Parts: sequence; C-alpha cells; structure tokens
Amino acid sequence: MEWNCTLTENRLSDYLDGSLSREEAAAFSAHAATCVDCAKLVAAVGGLVTRMQKVELLAAPPMLVSRIIDATSGPRKQTAGWKNWFAWAPALLQPRFLMGIGTVAATILILLYTAGGSPVHWKHADLSPSAVLRTANRQAHLTFAKSAKFVNDLRVVYEIQTRLQPDSEPSPAPPAGQNPAPGSKPQEKSQTSPNPGHSQARTGTMLASMAGAMPLQTFLR
Amino acid sequence: MEPDAQLVQECLRGDGPSWEELVRRHARRVFNLCYRFTGNATDADDLSQEVFLRIYKTLPSYKASYGAFATWLTSVTRNLLVDHYRRTRRDRLTDSIDDESMPQLEEKRSSARTPDKIAEAGELSAQIQQGLAQLSPELREAVILRDLQGFDYSEIQVVLQVPEGTVKSRINRGRIELARILGDMGLRPA
Repeated sequence: MEWNCTLTENRLSDYLDGSLSREEAAAFSAHAATCVDCAKLVAAVGGLVTRMQKVELLAAPPMLVSRIIDATSGPRKQTAGWKNWFAWAPALLQPRFLMGIGTVAATILILLYTAGGSPVHWKHADLSPSAVLRTANRQAHLTFAKSAKFVNDLRVVYEIQTRLQPDSEPSPAPPAGQNPAPGSKPQEKSQTSPNPGHSQARTGTMLASMAGAMPLQTFLR
Repeated sequence: MEPDAQLVQECLRGDGPSWEELVRRHARRVFNLCYRFTGNATDADDLSQEVFLRIYKTLPSYKASYGAFATWLTSVTRNLLVDHYRRTRRDRLTDSIDDESMPQLEEKRSSARTPDKIAEAGELSAQIQQGLAQLSPELREAVILRDLQGFDYSEIQVVLQVPEGTVKSRINRGRIELARILGDMGLRPA
C-alpha cells in the first residue's frame, strides 16, 4: 500500500487512536520509519497526546459550588438547632489547632500556679477581686525579690570564684622525686598555701561581701 | 437509568440536595472546560455559574433519551463559551493592538526555558494552556474535549453539532498545531 507524508499527517490521530486498519497501520509505520520529518511529527504529537491525557483537572474555586447553589435554588438552609452552634468544632480537630490549644492551656496553668498556687486549693474567698489583687501584688513583689536575690547570689558566687582563681592555678612543678602520691586530692594544694595570712584576708573580704547580700536573704525567708 | 438522570428527576420533583449533588459532581469539569477555553480563572468562574444558572432554568427540557447528562451539560457550556468568545472578541482585538510588543517578549521568555523545567507537571499544564490560547477556537474546543476532558468522538459530535469527519479532522489538526506551538516553546515529546 502506497503511503506519503500528507497521508501520515491526515491520519495521524487515527493511527494514535488505533483506528487504522492493519494494512494502513503497517504502511503508516513503514513510511514513518523512513521519513525523518514524519517520524518527528509522530513522536511530537504522540508525546503531546500522552502528556495531555495525564494532565489532571484543575481544582475548582472553593466557593464555586456554594455560589452556584445560592444563585439557583437560593441560600441553603442553616443546620437547625444546637448543631448549628458547633458547626465550627470539626475545624478545631486539626493538629495545628490542637497543638495551639494545648500550648495556651499549659501557659495559663503555669501563670496560675505562679500567681497564686494550685487552683485545686483555691477557696471562695480567694476569688474576690481584692484578694486576687493582693495575691497578684504579693506574687509580683516576691517574683521581683527572688529575681534580685538570684542576681545577687550570682554576683557573690562570681566574686568568690574570682578571688579563689589564683589559688586554683597550678603551682610550680615540684622538684623531681617529690611528685604527689597517686590518688591524693588536688584540694590539698590550696591547704598547703605558702601564704596563709593572705588567704585569711581574702576570706574576710569574701564574708564581708556575702554579708552585703544577707539582709535580702533574711527578708526573703 | 444513569445516576445523573436519576438526580435530574429528583431535582425536577423539587429535591434541593439532589441539585446540590448534581452541581457538586460537575462543577469541576465545567470550570476546567471554561478555564481551558478562556485561559482566565475569573472568567471561568463567572461562566461556570452562568452555565449552571442556565441548566437550572432549562432542566425540565432535559430528557435522558437525548444522551448523557454530562454531554448535555457540555453542550450548554460550549454554547456559552462561544457566546463569550464572540462577545469579547472586540476587547481582545483592542488589547492586541495596545500590546504589540507582548508576543515578542513572551516568545523570548519561552524559548529561554530549559526542557527539564518544562517537563514538570504544573509547568506542563501551564504550557499546554499557553499553546491552547494560540489555537483557533474550533481546534481548541475539539482538542480540549478530546484530550483534556476525555470525551469520545460521538459525544464531541453531539456537543459541537458537526459531522464525525469534521470532529476527527479538527482534533487531528488541533493536535498537530498544538505540538508545533509547544515545540517552538521548547517542550520535548515524551
């Protein structure tokens, strides 16, 4: 059977759809195998058709169906009764909302415990506005005082560390043959300080510094 | 009786949920047909609503013996699309005169894209949309109905109201033309 480029172009979709007779399909294939242009055309159109048939439908706009219903049969009836009140509830079951709700609940609990102890031990009198205000005021002052104490303690510890620093430095290497016995504690070095008078002076200063923080600690107790 | 025809009967008896179900089943397909033909999501949205408004008004005239409901719905959609095309033709001509430099810019941008990027699924859909926009309306609607909407030749014949030979010819020419356009844009065959 004779076949040419015009026939290839005209019957291309029939060939791709498989609706050519066996004889026509054989002649089509034989021609496409020898004609470069026709081979390119068959490959291009065949590839395009395959790809297009794989393209999925685009999603319609979310409110399209609602708008159509509203425009035709009128606005839909709202869910009757109490169910209407909880129509939004299923949306809260999404993980992000659940995590958010959990975080908020934990934050509120922490704030409540910080403000006035466990809610389990609250009494009716604790809930009066004046009591709440007093408790909140007291807790605010206590929190501030605790913070101040913490900072002061840090300062004292830092000062102690700073003053003990020279003692904790390694002493010059002892002469040969006088290595400390294995297992001896490093603190023994500071106990055998060559200048005990200097160490006593430092300890006195330290105690004086700590005494500066004492009134606050006493107040807090 | 096909499920759609059953729903239509229930709609005609005044059953609201059946109408909603019918809309829900076909809205996506109608929207896609409108979008592929117009290339504009807003127009497609408006036209989809217009289609269902017309269907709602003319539902009593539908008979199951005429063929599948989807085919009838597609005929209505296609007629509205043709009306829309004719209505907006003057606007498009004005726009094309105003934007004479645009096709050159578009052409440069398209040819600069690498085939690998074009092969991505979303990109493919966009490329096909660009190619379809350059086809004549007769070829465009035939290709959309056959290759993107999956109708068979006899259904397309009913929708377009032309002989089967014309349907086949339009689909064939549309495919070849679209492949040429996409080839110029750098899309390689699968």
